Amino acid sequence: MNVLKVPARTIAVFVLPCLLLYVVLVFVPILVSFYTGLLNWDGITTAKFIGFDNFKTMFFHDPVFWPSVRRTLLYAVASMLEIPLCLFMAILLNRFIKRRANTLVSIYFVPVILSVVIIGQLWKTIYNPASMGGMLNGILISLGLDSWQHGWLTEPKIAMYFVYIISLWQYFGYHLLIQFTGVQNLPEEVYEAARIDGAEGFKADRYITLPLIVPILKISIVLAFIGSLQSFDMVMVVTGGGPAHATDVISTLMYNNSFLSLKYGYGSAIATFLVLVCLICTFFINFIFGRVEKKVG
Amino acid sequence: MKYAKKGLVYLLFAIPVITQLYPLLWLFLYSLKTNEEILSGSFFSLPKHFQWANYKEAYENGHYVRYLSNSVLVTAVTMIFVILLASMVAYAVSRFRWRYGNVVMLVFLMGMMIPMQATLLPLMLIFKNLKTGSFHVLDSPLSLILPYIAFQLPIAIFILSGFMRSIPGEIEESAFVDGASIYRIFRSIILPVSAPPMMTVCILTFINIWNEYIMAATFISSEKWKTLPFGVYSFVSQYSVNYGDIGAFLIMGALPVIIIYFILSERITKGMVAGAVKG
Repeated sequence: MNVLKVPARTIAVFVLPCLLLYVVLVFVPILVSFYTGLLNWDGITTAKFIGFDNFKTMFFHDPVFWPSVRRTLLYAVASMLEIPLCLFMAILLNRFIKRRANTLVSIYFVPVILSVVIIGQLWKTIYNPASMGGMLNGILISLGLDSWQHGWLTEPKIAMYFVYIISLWQYFGYHLLIQFTGVQNLPEEVYEAARIDGAEGFKADRYITLPLIVPILKISIVLAFIGSLQSFDMVMVVTGGGPAHATDVISTLMYNNSFLSLKYGYGSAIATFLVLVCLICTFFINFIFGRVEKKVG
Repeated sequence: MKYAKKGLVYLLFAIPVITQLYPLLWLFLYSLKTNEEILSGSFFSLPKHFQWANYKEAYENGHYVRYLSNSVLVTAVTMIFVILLASMVAYAVSRFRWRYGNVVMLVFLMGMMIPMQATLLPLMLIFKNLKTGSFHVLDSPLSLILPYIAFQLPIAIFILSGFMRSIPGEIEESAFVDGASIYRIFRSIILPVSAPPMMTVCILTFINIWNEYIMAATFISSEKWKTLPFGVYSFVSQYSVNYGDIGAFLIMGALPVIIIYFILSERITKGMVAGAVKG
């Protein structure tokens, strides 16, 4: 490969505009956020510097903070639960449905491309009481299970689970597509060699597909994890964190504190926490997979 | 036995077709019903008469065309700048010999891990202070376009630089010998050759920006500049005369992406996989 030697000025012309824009719009805000996290400030009156008090309040005195963290992590776990199912379906799809497989996958993919607003409002309507035309309760009534009806998003105990379901539904097609592409790209020869050695079907899957697919699994898991940490838009559109904080995740808590309660300082402290959690989780996942890949490779 | 197994597999794949598509079909039927039909609460029923009037009412009561054109404007401008800026950096990182190439790449990759919503408040504070005369950045399309560009850059640079590394160096060398400047090489050789990864970047940018809701809802407040997702959201949450109209507006909101997906489904699915795999 040939690499060009060019004067510094040319490099600057190519790189600086973009780099400046990026640093100003991504890194500077994070620093600003970290700083405002140290203030007691409502955006209007003069800000007061209070050191790490916001963080202390967050960790020790805010009764809704830790439950939101738990829900955020549960969101990630819930999103990952569908990955094995998707892998299983991808393997079957590749083996049994050769010709129509791509069509099927593009059908499953339709919800992925729609805006969270459309998906969220659609599911809100589905979850409505039957008297307002809700589909889920309508189905229960037709099955004669009238007593099973619920206010799916208005009862604090169950609301969060029904928000998870929307995300699982929306991203099912995405995970399936990723796994399917991965399975399709596995080299045919390996399977042939295995067949000669007497490994076929699910036995071959256990010893060949699974180890070879680890990098693809990692992509799906990272996607599910990062997506869930940022599972923000969906909750915002569907419940806004309510009823009574029952569906708050870290990011909605941050948003509601910043923009509804106008606690700019406290909201920024939560934002700082969110950034740190994202960084730590990404490193953690990469570390785990680094070890897994070494082991199976 | 063989048929039973096959039947079972087909059934397994038929179920998601229903679960993934039926809600959308249900919404479509919903949008064509009268209030009475919707409130009757049966989960499957065809409307007696298709109430196309719902669409007319939704169109007249919402600002569909305005939201749509705002979305087109914001998405198109973002796309152009992402492609331009990202290919410049990608070229510099993948082909120039300089000490800080990897550092620059690392800066962009690190940014990928930063959640967008953590920047909402600080960006709002920054944009609030950016004004000249009667022009305010906050509540203008610029307040969306700028962060949209920034947050799409890392993945775009990653995809483009990966591709540019694979372009054979001889092409540039011979152009250089013929006296072409580096800018000329970039414009007449690198950019045209990189069309396929640019397509991937365009698709990713389109899907992400076209559907973006929360930033639009935070930075935009005047009706004039609302984008489609935010417009749909405010229509749905404010309008309560006729349920069918709400359904109709949701369908209209989904329509542009559905049409584009219908035409380009294979490219879109491929692009999104490439985005995920490389991200």
